[in-house]
Amino acid sequence: MDNLLWRNSKWASKLVAMVIVCLALCWVAIPFLWAIVNSIKSHSAIFRTGAFIPFLQFTPTLDPWKEVLGDPQTLNCLFSSTLVGVGTTVLVLLIGTPAAYSLARFEFKRMKSKDITLWFLTQRVLPPVVVLSPFYILLAELGLIDTWTGLILLYSTFNLAFCVVIMRDIFRDVSKEVEEAARMEGASLWQIFWMIALPLSLDGLIVTAFIVFAFCWNEALFASAVTSQHAATMPTLILASRSTRGVDFNSAAVNTILAIAPPVILSFFVQRYLARGLSFGAVKG
Amino acid sequence: MAIVELSKVSKKYGDVLALRDFNLTTGDGEFVVLVGPSGCGKTTTMRMIAGLETVTEGEIKIGGKNVVGMIPRERDVAMVFQNYALFPHLNVFGNLSFGLRLRKVPKEQVAEKVRSVAKVLDIEHLLERKPKELSGGERQRVALGRAIVREPKVFLMDEPLSNIDAKLRVEMRAEIIKLQRRLGVTTFYVTHDQVEALSMGDRIVVMSKGLVQQVGTPKELYNAPINRYVAGFIGSPSMNFMKGHLNGDGTVSAGENVRLVLPEIRAAAVARSGIEEVWIGIRPEHLVIERNPDSVTRNVIKGIVEVVEPQGGTTILQINIGQEKKIIAQINEQWGREAGEKLTLTVASELIHLFDPKTEQACS
Repeated sequence: MDNLLWRNSKWASKLVAMVIVCLALCWVAIPFLWAIVNSIKSHSAIFRTGAFIPFLQFTPTLDPWKEVLGDPQTLNCLFSSTLVGVGTTVLVLLIGTPAAYSLARFEFKRMKSKDITLWFLTQRVLPPVVVLSPFYILLAELGLIDTWTGLILLYSTFNLAFCVVIMRDIFRDVSKEVEEAARMEGASLWQIFWMIALPLSLDGLIVTAFIVFAFCWNEALFASAVTSQHAATMPTLILASRSTRGVDFNSAAVNTILAIAPPVILSFFVQRYLARGLSFGAVKG
Repeated sequence: MAIVELSKVSKKYGDVLALRDFNLTTGDGEFVVLVGPSGCGKTTTMRMIAGLETVTEGEIKIGGKNVVGMIPRERDVAMVFQNYALFPHLNVFGNLSFGLRLRKVPKEQVAEKVRSVAKVLDIEHLLERKPKELSGGERQRVALGRAIVREPKVFLMDEPLSNIDAKLRVEMRAEIIKLQRRLGVTTFYVTHDQVEALSMGDRIVVMSKGLVQQVGTPKELYNAPINRYVAGFIGSPSMNFMKGHLNGDGTVSAGENVRLVLPEIRAAAVARSGIEEVWIGIRPEHLVIERNPDSVTRNVIKGIVEVVEPQGGTTILQINIGQEKKIIAQINEQWGREAGEKLTLTVASELIHLFDPKTEQACS
């Protein structure tokens, strides 16, 4: 490491630092490892304790993968998750960004922008399980149980508040002078929003989209409550591995990897924005 | 090109009065400089002309048309911002063509106009670059270009040179004046720098605390400041002020070391006004060292040099004239003066300014 502080540290403190890093790494990596190892074990090998190293301790097989991927419900769930995730993200950004922009730039007469923002924020503090029954009844009334539309609407209500609060902060960092310059050049409010504010907040927008998508992708509680077959998502499928026959570790492991993969791959692409986007508001208050 | 008229323009932020009763009519193609310390209302005035700020009271006319309540687009004015305010996500071409494209000008025409403006400003080679890849001076040119390319009726410039280094600033100053003369577009220029104001403006509006103090040509402001504020603000180093007493014989004195003879007309005017105490104002550059102190009795100021600040061509002296009072003199000498030296200074009678201590207005 080309860092003076590091180079001048005592070997003991270096060792401690390294051990801590290794522990943290194990902490994060072992569940992944568990999933990968178990996804290539046969049904019989899975209950043999201490079998961890493929080829040495057990014979790897692709049977669980074939089994899971051959199941139409898996593909259906992957499709549901993707559709609901993308649908929610699009809807939330479509409604949330203009709302956030107006809260960042304008003062309303009857209620302060600050208060409206706080109201949005309270939606995030609310424990989601509190609204589980009301939402179920609402969706049932609308005939939206086990539909993609129902899930998208449900997820949008949770994520809209998040999007508004975050994007408001990001829009506030856009230089006012630049927007005024656009106004002087003859741009209307919408043109300033589309041609100046949005392009300049693209980093934040991408991060927000990613976080909203990840929320939808990972959400299990509501999905398992309001879907059963048609609109079931990946998390519900993993939960469903616990059936009357006990836990089906093989398919759970494969499904876990299937569920983890898309967000992980996606995060490689948005990584460059993530570090900056997640520190929103940290540089400028 | 247009005449801009502001009549009785006022601006309130809540209960705070930011600008009171601003009246001004520009000539066509005139270069008007608004100058004053921060918070004096100069930027507010400009932003009201731009349409970025609402007008609380009064009327603003551009080319004879009342523009109060109009959005910037309808006013046909262009503004250069202090921090350039270029669009960071667009390249220089995109920045220059932004306004034209919004106005749906045909593509070929846009390209042609942008190229010709870029040529004038010597930024043709930068058209593909993003603002962050440009130096301060280049950004400044792009900001100017963006204002020029639309051929607006009025230019508004809000301290456009305050962010670039001193040497470049002097160059850009000259360039802006040249450009403005060539285009003949009425221009408002905001600055807090009185040197910039004196060197650029056809006319200068000196402002303080939301009020116009004086409007005039640089020459008028320098030679005949209307009140003590303007006298102190215009000119560098600042004018010296001394509390003085008017004697019946047309002279004014401040302590035992200062005795000045007023020009006859001035003395008569002051005598008529019946005041006895005055502020005497003398510009540092008008003080001259007397070589034969014994032979002169008129307009003599005696003192001891306290601090010597050589400027190269000239020297600034802080001189103690007794009773804890100090004056600044800028003399046409290079090095050679020393602290502790006793000096006799003189000043020409017609270069003495007098101000009424109660109203702070000039006595004339």
